[in-house]
Amino acid sequence: MLERMRNMDRKSLLFFLSMIGPGFITANVDNDAAGITTYSVAGSHYGYALLWSFIPMLLLLIIVQEMVARLGVVTGKGLSDLIREEYGVRTTVFVMFALLITNLGTCAAEFAGLAASLEIFGISRYFSVPLACGLIWFLVVKGSYKTVERVFLGACIIYFSYILSGFMAKPDWGEVARHTVNPTFQLDAAYVGLLIGMVGTTISPWMQFYQQAAIVEKNIPVENYRFVRWDVILGCVMASVVAFFIVMACGATLHVNGVTIHTAEDAAMALTPLAGHFAKVLFAVGLVNASLFAATILPLSTTYTICEGMGWESGVNKEFQEAPQFMGLYTGLIIVSGGLILIPGAPLIKIMLVSQVINGVLLPFVLIFILLLINKKDLMGDLVNGRTNNWISWTSVAVLIALSIALVYLAAHQFFS
Amino acid sequence: MITDSIYLSELLNRPILDRKGDAIGKIRDLNVVPGDPFPFVEGLYIRTSGKTAYVPMKEINVLNKRIVTIHGDIGSIAYTEPREKEILIGKHIMDKQIVDVNGVKVVRVNDVQLGQVNDHFGMLAIDVGFGGLIRRLGFGKARKGTLIPWRYVTTLEPGLDRLTLTMTRKSLAEMHPVDMAEILTQVSMQERTALLSSLDEETAGDVIGELDDETAAKIINEMEPEKAADVLEQMDPDEAADVLGDLPEKKAVELLNRMDREEAEEVRELLEHDEDTAGGLMTTDYISFPPDMTAEEVMKELRLVAPDIEMIYYLYVLDREERLLGVLSLKDLILASPKVPLGSLMVTNPKTVHATEDKKEVAEMVSRYNLYAIPVVDEENHILGIITVDDVVDMLLPTPLRRKR
Repeated sequence: MLERMRNMDRKSLLFFLSMIGPGFITANVDNDAAGITTYSVAGSHYGYALLWSFIPMLLLLIIVQEMVARLGVVTGKGLSDLIREEYGVRTTVFVMFALLITNLGTCAAEFAGLAASLEIFGISRYFSVPLACGLIWFLVVKGSYKTVERVFLGACIIYFSYILSGFMAKPDWGEVARHTVNPTFQLDAAYVGLLIGMVGTTISPWMQFYQQAAIVEKNIPVENYRFVRWDVILGCVMASVVAFFIVMACGATLHVNGVTIHTAEDAAMALTPLAGHFAKVLFAVGLVNASLFAATILPLSTTYTICEGMGWESGVNKEFQEAPQFMGLYTGLIIVSGGLILIPGAPLIKIMLVSQVINGVLLPFVLIFILLLINKKDLMGDLVNGRTNNWISWTSVAVLIALSIALVYLAAHQFFS
Repeated sequence: MITDSIYLSELLNRPILDRKGDAIGKIRDLNVVPGDPFPFVEGLYIRTSGKTAYVPMKEINVLNKRIVTIHGDIGSIAYTEPREKEILIGKHIMDKQIVDVNGVKVVRVNDVQLGQVNDHFGMLAIDVGFGGLIRRLGFGKARKGTLIPWRYVTTLEPGLDRLTLTMTRKSLAEMHPVDMAEILTQVSMQERTALLSSLDEETAGDVIGELDDETAAKIINEMEPEKAADVLEQMDPDEAADVLGDLPEKKAVELLNRMDREEAEEVRELLEHDEDTAGGLMTTDYISFPPDMTAEEVMKELRLVAPDIEMIYYLYVLDREERLLGVLSLKDLILASPKVPLGSLMVTNPKTVHATEDKKEVAEMVSRYNLYAIPVVDEENHILGIITVDDVVDMLLPTPLRRKR
């Protein structure tokens, strides 16, 4: 018929594609520097023994992220807006402050990951970190964030490098399958610690805030909610598969040969003699991408979340005088988290532990708020949780809360010893 | 005795006393009704021994920062839960987003200033400042707020709109479409629909025309089809085409069929063109006259047709087959002697572009020849439409009217 309408078949595909993104991006950012480190360490220490945890973890992740997505589509408001509107100033200030501290720690971890992975290629952190900070700030404030987001969406493909590394490691597939469906449990503190750590890095509060905000921004009508649900599920599955392959690759190479590591960079280095130089490069490139991706998204999303909850003027296209809290927070987050990495002898491990503790303290609150909000009939109408759904959600949340309490205990213990 | 001014945060959770000075309960919320020049407080909901009770304002004896008392005793109050349609300040206004019509932005209510003016106790202003936050957190009671008087704000939530004053509604409708569009990008879909439905179709059309095509298409998609078609009719045809081009085909055709036939035809023609070409950028709203009309006749005619046309600075001279012969500016027309025909006033061989020309090329032409508009023609020099400079500027410098994250 008409020229512009003739493109409609292509357009309805684009219409669908325009709705994918938030869930997919969120889940992939989740495999950030801290995540990759935890997975590598888990694989090198325990081989395939932790692989079974991915199935329950994936289910928990989907349950939580699906509720958040539904909240976003139905209310059209971000999670911080909803907490503020339903639970008042005090609660909001507490949650926002905790989120600020934990995200600051996470940002620092991302810059640390970036610095370390580029050092594999012989690039000094005193060069890479300030450059990355400047680039991120500039891209977001002066550039178009939409473009940046698209670049990163494309960059999600780089995560396949971990899957490739996994294949190059030539695992014993029979063993892998057996450990995946057959839960085994070891009663030693380090094993439990790693298990909890894996859950902690996989399900963290910033994800809920970020994903809901990103979904709200897409203005998705309630009729199209099913697309969003698929986006969320797809993202969670992909993120879990990538993480699974990291654990597997490290299990098949490092663990089998008795090499134990403490960081993701160790893993990349140790892969060379066992799986070849190419595997090392793949691993390191994946880490650079993961750190940069998360370091770009986290400071901005944190700033938006806080400013919206507090009711401060926000927007990257504003002058400093127009939106002082917004610009101040955003710039401050990047400078402080990047700067921490450059302090010679900075207690990086302690910083990460503190941020992990706060993460663990915050998560139960956020999860409970999500469950309370999603059961409010005046907000959600017919899309409140059903009885079965509620039962599953509350159980999952209870499990997560128990795990995060254990995480806080372990991290605090490690911090003081 | 009721105080001249008190903040809501100073009232909530405060004990309320009977005439003997015994506490009968705690203040939970206040209900308001529409009023002029501010909404009036009708009564207080209190929590007393696990139940909710209602105290009408006329029962209140003293209300100030130190004490709240009633005339009677506990026997004189009625136990009742808030009714469905009632508006409660704490529940519906506090912590919510609200539009500051004067400052043209969306703000969050940190606190509400109440007070007595001319025997009416009501909502005088909202506090959107840092002071309000600190007060709510319980640090420092006497913090001064950043107040916006109620006559300058309008609520966003559907159902609360009756609290907005008529005069505020008027200034909302008079707000610049660009500012209104900026506000729309900051609120949720439901609130957006509520705000837009408070505007007449013409204003709504202007506002939607200022949004980016994707957001505009989503809003049109959510509207009642009848209303959507009315709004589209009010928009400039090129903007309407851009919006329809972003909708699913079935929906676009449905809306086109509901629109006024003439308007729909123009939009259909524009939809023929790829949006990255001159044809996709043009509008069919332009002014044209035959070459034998005199300056005087044209002036007379112009007064009749100009109100509905965006661009009247250039007058295009066309032959019977709509082929472009020449152009003259409004200035040329005004300075001409009344009896001269347009044919001898016009500049012949005006600069034109073809419908399939790339839009970058168009921008270059407009910039090089300092034009306010450039006509779009086909192979035989028939005029198809014009491209105005504002659309060129929008293309080169897109206004970031969307939430960035």
